Amino acid sequence: MKMLTANSLTTGEVVFWDHGQWSVRFADGERFEADEAADAALALAETQPKIAVAAYLIDVEDNDGHWVPIAFRERLRALGPSNTPQHGKQADGDADVEAFQASHSSARSTGRVKLIKR
Amino acid sequence: MYRYDSLDKEMLTDRSNEFRHQAARRLSGEITEDQFKPLRLMNGLYLQLHAYMLRIAIPFGTLNTKQLRRLAWVAKTYDKGYGHFTTRTNLQLHWIKLRDAPDILDALAEVDLHAIQTSGNCIRNITADPYAGATADEIDDPRVWVEAMRQWSTNHPEYSYLPRKFKIAVTAAEKDRAAIRSYDVGLHLRRTRDGELSFEVMVGGGQGRTPYLAKTIREHLPAGRLLSYLDAVLRVYNRQSRRDNIHKQRIKILVATLGVEEFTRQVEAEWALIEGADIDLPDTELARIRAAFMPCAFDPQPASSPVFEAAKADPEFARFTRRNVHPHKVPGYAIVDISLKVPGETPGDASSEQMDLVADLADAYSQGEVRINYTQNLVLPHVKLADVPAIYAALKPAGLATANMDLITDIIACPGLDYCTLANARAIPVAQSIAKRFADPERAEQIGDLKINISGCINACGHHHLGAIGILGVDKKGEEYYQLSLGGSGGDDAELAKILGPAMSGPAIPDAIETLVETYIVHRKDGERFLDTVRRTGLQPFKEAVYASAD
Amino acid sequence: MPQLIKIEGERASTVDDLFTFVADEDAVPAAGDVIVTLARLSSEGDALLSSGRRVGVRLQPSDAVEDLAYDLGALAVIELAFAKFRDGRPYSSARVLRGRLNYQGELRAVGDVLREQALHMVRCGFNAFEPADGSTAEQWLAAAHRYRHVYQRAADDREPVFVERAQIASGLGHNRPDEVGV
Repeated sequence: MKMLTANSLTTGEVVFWDHGQWSVRFADGERFEADEAADAALALAETQPKIAVAAYLIDVEDNDGHWVPIAFRERLRALGPSNTPQHGKQADGDADVEAFQASHSSARSTGRVKLIKR
Repeated sequence: MYRYDSLDKEMLTDRSNEFRHQAARRLSGEITEDQFKPLRLMNGLYLQLHAYMLRIAIPFGTLNTKQLRRLAWVAKTYDKGYGHFTTRTNLQLHWIKLRDAPDILDALAEVDLHAIQTSGNCIRNITADPYAGATADEIDDPRVWVEAMRQWSTNHPEYSYLPRKFKIAVTAAEKDRAAIRSYDVGLHLRRTRDGELSFEVMVGGGQGRTPYLAKTIREHLPAGRLLSYLDAVLRVYNRQSRRDNIHKQRIKILVATLGVEEFTRQVEAEWALIEGADIDLPDTELARIRAAFMPCAFDPQPASSPVFEAAKADPEFARFTRRNVHPHKVPGYAIVDISLKVPGETPGDASSEQMDLVADLADAYSQGEVRINYTQNLVLPHVKLADVPAIYAALKPAGLATANMDLITDIIACPGLDYCTLANARAIPVAQSIAKRFADPERAEQIGDLKINISGCINACGHHHLGAIGILGVDKKGEEYYQLSLGGSGGDDAELAKILGPAMSGPAIPDAIETLVETYIVHRKDGERFLDTVRRTGLQPFKEAVYASAD
Repeated sequence: MPQLIKIEGERASTVDDLFTFVADEDAVPAAGDVIVTLARLSSEGDALLSSGRRVGVRLQPSDAVEDLAYDLGALAVIELAFAKFRDGRPYSSARVLRGRLNYQGELRAVGDVLREQALHMVRCGFNAFEPADGSTAEQWLAAAHRYRHVYQRAADDREPVFVERAQIASGLGHNRPDEVGV
């Protein structure tokens, strides 16, 4: 499964594609089974350069009933920096976040579909 | 201390207005991200993992207290109340919004601060000895020359779109405290036999994928000709460097490809044709800058202070004086290091409250001046010995009195994958786990000087090539792995660290460091630092110990 | 007809570009002002320059401007191409042309030429521009004059800050008699 992510142009915050708009919550993100649908969403997102910057697809997997990104780096983006648990999305501390943090399956770099170049 | 005059201030205002205009054009869709990116980078604004990051320049690592308080205020108002001091003596704020950036630059410009050329393929903020103007072994104040270069390099019409970034550092003391041989251009100021100031010019140092130590291309450059000579170096670089492969566009690659003799020949040929009088600052301007850097008069003090000596009865204070207090050029004064390396905390981070406190102390005790060391610590440069106990007492409850300068817990680390888009692995948690393991200050002092440098990727912002122990984060099939190297130094005994063996996982690192330390203690001879022992014995005993115990 | 922005001192204007660029694979038209590549100038330069029309040359970033030294007096215009706006070699080419080879004629920036680089281009000696971003002459001029001060001497006639300071200190400065440098 894939998800589409980017950073908000005005705030820089990590955002996830949710059926035509961007959400700041990973849990709200739309998951694509088919690559074609994912690519179409990416193409659409790239036509909105005033909203989000550097959109790219990531691989996600079901981990005991919770979806998590496969790549370690994407987990950090979806949570926040590990040295300051009070900052970033992880600060909300909801069930999704807890499941996320508890996720121990090993990350793989295959989750990094397209390297971001900033 | 140097202050900007109305002309410098108008430059900052114009710059800030220009950026406000550019950001508005980006937000309205008039220019693309591809076009905007180099513009925001030249104003220190990166897009990182969680937000924008603003890298604020601290020219020559010197701040007055008004500036430090403004940084604290910006961090509190526009960020999350803390900032990260870097190995290039800049301050990074990691939670910035693009829409706030123009206001932040305005707020900084009001106190003569800016983010000009802290990123991008241009001449970056120039660094110098953190003890400049205070240390006894100084030939001249290096900041005079850094300020001359700041002016010359700001908004340079010809050198704002270089093949890659370009970093310069200056040392004007015998001891190199600015790691100049790891720079694109390293400058070492000395006095010739006839008393003239002269630079040894070294070119082509750098870390990253292909690390090199800079090579000397001129032993004696008359100091007053510095800018025109640099112009020649930059012109040869701008015209001759490759532009087809981002990994081969630093000047170190050009110097290595041409060979240092041919590169030197080209620079000298170019310099001979350059109209030096148009570029080199007139003596009057140099004199004006020099006068502005003169410290206030120092009250005459007795060479030793009974208050200071008596306070050493407290063993913790005594340790603080051994590690963090250094001789000043004026008798009765000292240079005091403030550690931003509390074991278990993020190396180089300071909260707004801590910045405000340091500003208060600098006003009370250090001529209102604060320095940033590339080791990611702060410095009070002009302190009366008699005031050190009071400073220590104020620092301690704020978590700023850790007595660990140059010890195993004084770890240099980049932000790594916790923040940075370029990183392959986290650096901060590794630093935290090592520092916690060696948190016992007595043990750390028994181990003695030992620099650990951690970078989250090959770009080497954590200077892992220059660590007695260097740690490089790598991505091994999506997992964080760390490669150890030994024997590096950025100082007078500069050398690049050598790789110890295969990379290992993050949790294995503290044990591996423990093994390295034990091996050193077994092999060390009287007075040898870790680095000396490694260089004497070579890597073999360390390699055997680490990888034997790992099996 | 394609247009150009020309800058003369404090004035900017939009003018028709009377030159035709001739790529290496194309034939030189029978008449009219032309701009050719360095390769064509090397091989056909003598014939072109004596054919009674104005001839210019377009240099790529990797071309050495020193190669023009022999023909400099006969060229009507020199174009320096910006392959990408990030490729800064043409700035050095311009400085060498103006400062070292003493070229006085029209110097054009073509290719990926953006308003954000107007200041640097003008300061390096360019005086004609084919912006890729649709900038008007007014916008170009405003961008080129966004800064009240400069820190270096360059190919333009602006005095650097250290000269302004010296003038202020000696009482010759304009507008700021009360603000003598630090």
